[in-house]
Amino acid sequence: MMEFLVVVFGLSLLWASVTNMLGTIIKILVFQGVILFAITLLKTTQLNWISFSFIALETLIFKAILIPWFIDDTIKHNRIRREVEASVSNFFSLALMSLIFVLSFALSASAPVWTAEVSPLEFGIAFATILKGIFIIIANKKLITHLMGYLIMENGIFLLSLSAGSHLPYIVSLGVSLDLMLSVLIAVLFIKRIRSTFDDAESPHSLKEE
Amino acid sequence: MSAILLFAYPVLAILFCLFITSRRRMDLLIVLHALLHSGLGIHAFVNRGSLLSMDDLGLFIYLILSVLYSAIAFYRLGSQDSSAIKDYRIHTMFLMIFVMAMDGATIAKDLGLIWIFVEATTISSAMLISYSNRKSSLEAAWKYLFICSVGIALAFAGILLLVIAQAGEATLLISRIDVSKLSPFWLKISFVFILIGFGTKIGLAPLHFWLPDAHSEAPAPISALLSGALLNIALIPILRVDKLMQQSGMAALAKELYLLMGFISVFIAAVFVLKTKDYKRLLAYSSVENMGLIMIAFGAGGMAHYAAYLHILGHSLIKAAFFLTAGNALLIYQDKNHENIRGMLSTNKTSAWLWLLSSVMIIGLPPSPLFTSKFLIATALLSNGSYLLFGLLMLLLAIISWGIIRIGLSMCLGESERKKSLSMWVYLAPAGLLLIAAMIGIFLPILD
Repeated sequence: MMEFLVVVFGLSLLWASVTNMLGTIIKILVFQGVILFAITLLKTTQLNWISFSFIALETLIFKAILIPWFIDDTIKHNRIRREVEASVSNFFSLALMSLIFVLSFALSASAPVWTAEVSPLEFGIAFATILKGIFIIIANKKLITHLMGYLIMENGIFLLSLSAGSHLPYIVSLGVSLDLMLSVLIAVLFIKRIRSTFDDAESPHSLKEE
Repeated sequence: MSAILLFAYPVLAILFCLFITSRRRMDLLIVLHALLHSGLGIHAFVNRGSLLSMDDLGLFIYLILSVLYSAIAFYRLGSQDSSAIKDYRIHTMFLMIFVMAMDGATIAKDLGLIWIFVEATTISSAMLISYSNRKSSLEAAWKYLFICSVGIALAFAGILLLVIAQAGEATLLISRIDVSKLSPFWLKISFVFILIGFGTKIGLAPLHFWLPDAHSEAPAPISALLSGALLNIALIPILRVDKLMQQSGMAALAKELYLLMGFISVFIAAVFVLKTKDYKRLLAYSSVENMGLIMIAFGAGGMAHYAAYLHILGHSLIKAAFFLTAGNALLIYQDKNHENIRGMLSTNKTSAWLWLLSSVMIIGLPPSPLFTSKFLIATALLSNGSYLLFGLLMLLLAIISWGIIRIGLSMCLGESERKKSLSMWVYLAPAGLLLIAAMIGIFLPILD
């Protein structure tokens, strides 16, 4: 069951590579949130119930409902064009995603020892997700897509932290604090209303230099 | 006891801030915090191992922070602030939270805790950067928050990999990690992630994009703290994990990575120092350069290892003084473009002299401690046989020095009818920092 969920999670990355629509990426985020929730449910035996319920609620409410809803709402209110203008084509993006998978699995296959709790499959997918998130951040110019890239990267880190959690339980809660960081990011956008960041025009103040 | 004081005072002071409406009193709270901070630092220095058994590395960074914090606390007494009292209150409160988060990172020994504190410094300092509420400063704060969030997330991935590297029961308390049980394979990958992640926060190229904007948009005292203290804080986790690398016999790999990142940083700084027109950005790029030099020093090893610490100390003091002086220039001219500024020597003599002195000391002319550290780095590179790297470094440093001195001279010399005087505090604070740096440069601790 666990393997199945992880593989489906990995497939969502391929889905993310072939879409140009912001709406679809939001759906992918919801999808990933739900899968992470399910994976957390399967890990019940490894966590005590307080941290378990905290993390389960966090994945479901925060990752699968609140954040996607917020981004969707922002897109509607600011009339952002629903198409992502990535600087690379879908084909390239898909090819690169495959390459990322190859790289991640090559890495997990070449690892000398695996403990029972961390499986090469989980690690490979988690690692690929992190790289995919970084790639989305680099390849896009709009801040709203940067945010989505960050979210996907964070989902990958969360998956990795669930794997590592059996060694050191409190590390999973530490990972949740990344979501706190994300809330601050979103709050800044929301409260301060940095208009230009939502402009449809390419932001001149993207993450590039001067 | 002293640890309780260190954290209890700012918490109480922040609560107290909510009820006072006078700027002077808020400034006074900050001055008291700074004095308490320094006092506890001296106490911890005299009685080693007090203050939650802080180790030497932590204490070193803590003491630098103490000196800088005291300087900016007094500097703030003289800076003319016209913002609304509500904004000023938030600024004061977040300044104390920022310093508390940095204290936490110096004291903590658990990598997870250090990570949390570094994350807290990011959030609190973003509030300080966006202080002026101008569009550009909001955007700088956003860029800072976002890029550092990505960095902090990558660092977390590195920490997770460090957990995976330990078979069986894991810990993040560096001193408790059993090196013999560490998997070298995972440690290597973990180290790369931690270096890139926290390296983002240090401002190492190619992940330094946030730094020039943030340092340029923040108010002068905050720029001074960001550059002089925060960048050092982000070095702590890397140096702590570096110990593990050394114990597992992978010091050579770490050194190569340090050299690589260091040289890219110095190179980027050299390119942009020539390009930029904003003098605060100029100082920010100089920070990228100096952080790169520190990494090169760690990479060169041997004698340069000592030079790295000396460079951290010297850079913090001089760069903070430089940013405070840049704050003076901004108070005088209300303009950040160096091309619009001429004849500072006749407009405000003291600030102009401070500017020239800071320029001379930051490029590493004696009596600057940076002279000794750069000399040692160069010697180490030569004795390693890396002649090419030595030549490259000298060339890049020459370009950067030329850029800094050229802009300094063009701003200070020339004719100007304008006269403007500022409060005594804004001269005393940077002058004090430069004096301390010069004293260190002259009476350098004897090398052993």
